[in-house]
Amino acid sequence: MKSISLYVDKESFIHDFDPITKLLYILFALFLPLILLSFTVSFISVGVSIVLLMAAGVIRKTIPVFSFVFLVLITVVIIQGLFRPENETILFQIGPLAMYKEGLLYALTITLRVMNIVSAFLILVLTTKPSDLVETLVRKGMSPRIGYVIVSVFQIIPEMMASMSTITDAQRARGMETEGKLSVRMKAFLPLLGPVILGALINTKERALALEVRGFNSHVPKTYLYEEKTHALSKWVQAILLLLLVGAGVWRIFG
Amino acid sequence: MIKVSDLSFSYRKGTPVLSGINLELDQRSTAIIGQNGAGKTTFVKLLKGLLKADEGDIFVNNHHVKETTAAELAKTIGLVFQNPNDQMFKRTVLDEVMFGPLNIKMDKQQAKENALMAIRMVDLQGKLDINPHDLSLSEKKLLCIAAIVAMDPDIIILDEPTIAQDHAGKEKIKQIIKALKDKNKLVMTIIHDMDFVAENFERTIVFNEGKVLLDGDTRQVFSQKDMLKKAHVEPPGITQLAEMLGIQETILTVEEFIHRNKEAARD
Repeated sequence: MKSISLYVDKESFIHDFDPITKLLYILFALFLPLILLSFTVSFISVGVSIVLLMAAGVIRKTIPVFSFVFLVLITVVIIQGLFRPENETILFQIGPLAMYKEGLLYALTITLRVMNIVSAFLILVLTTKPSDLVETLVRKGMSPRIGYVIVSVFQIIPEMMASMSTITDAQRARGMETEGKLSVRMKAFLPLLGPVILGALINTKERALALEVRGFNSHVPKTYLYEEKTHALSKWVQAILLLLLVGAGVWRIFG
Repeated sequence: MIKVSDLSFSYRKGTPVLSGINLELDQRSTAIIGQNGAGKTTFVKLLKGLLKADEGDIFVNNHHVKETTAAELAKTIGLVFQNPNDQMFKRTVLDEVMFGPLNIKMDKQQAKENALMAIRMVDLQGKLDINPHDLSLSEKKLLCIAAIVAMDPDIIILDEPTIAQDHAGKEKIKQIIKALKDKNKLVMTIIHDMDFVAENFERTIVFNEGKVLLDGDTRQVFSQKDMLKKAHVEPPGITQLAEMLGIQETILTVEEFIHRNKEAARD
């Protein structure tokens, strides 16, 4: 069964870090450029995230994500460069269209912020198993019910996709065309969707019963399946990130 | 009825699921057996046109499967899926059974007649207006058989028909298979229930690692212990018992066993 998780199973020091440190890094990468409001800081922050992604050996997996993000950002650059109300200084002209410095600078700010957030999130998503992340959060006090809902999404969606394929085969076996013109596809909608939804509802009920019989709702403290993931440098890295954030705040207020 | 030549198939390049399959399937009822992952389900999906072969050809009643869609083939070859919940979506048993015949452009009157006949065959005539989801799993499986029988195809493939069936359910399926054979239909099955195979199927094909390991009369196939072991298939319980008791010939059913012992006692 295909997984919907983007996690890349590799060995690297980034993979070895615990999810909490990676979550903290996301907050750091998110807030530092907002506090310091400097292009240089934003560039450095994006650069650090990309270096970390390279060190984790997952940079190739980021290409489709960054390609999609760039596609969206190009429209931001064009719209801001051409139409931002504060636009005054023409930077260059393409035929009748003038690109303005103010709009482009603003678009660059947005681009850097988005790149910053996306690359920091990719470090977490590509180097952390969803189950590890959820288990860590549950250890830190998140409700096990919410944890189960998050983990089960990663299981149920691929299951539903596999079940959709079997249902399509079952209906094609009964003479129903599922390919071709739009009208043919529309006609196939109900025979395909009906069993998927009913199947999902039946599975949900059975999952709930299976959880219940295995003591999911018991109130005694639970034993965790895996050892808590920690890295020798985790505490140091977390402390440095927090110090840098606080330092940036102080600099912004008093500097 | 079905001719398969040099058939090969893989879901992923470099890992063949089936390779070099050559088979001719005639009117004899046929069971396809083998351990999980041997390629049985892939094979029947290829026969039904749900998958397209990488290499080789399949002809079903002179239809070249590669050039025909699964929906077009539905008039000729029917496949009853293992899990009934994968197909049911209509509000009543009758509507569910009529869905297939109407899909293959049967007129409404004929579709209803066929549906009622098929429902009678599986003994669900008292539940015509019931929602299919309110039936027991055993009845749902019988309903799915009826849904294919009503389409009146020449070939009917049953995927694990005995799962979730008690003794009465198995007896019912036995009768259905016999009735279909009497109508000159080719009945095929993919199955792990060897006792059922021995009692009901004339021909048995053993798949192993994507190839045909054994093919022949069911008695002859179940006599080849070493080959069956290679395919991780156990002969029927009664066959094993007879062998342990030193009976030379291959026994397939309890009736045969009793008959053989009575004969021996008389001698």
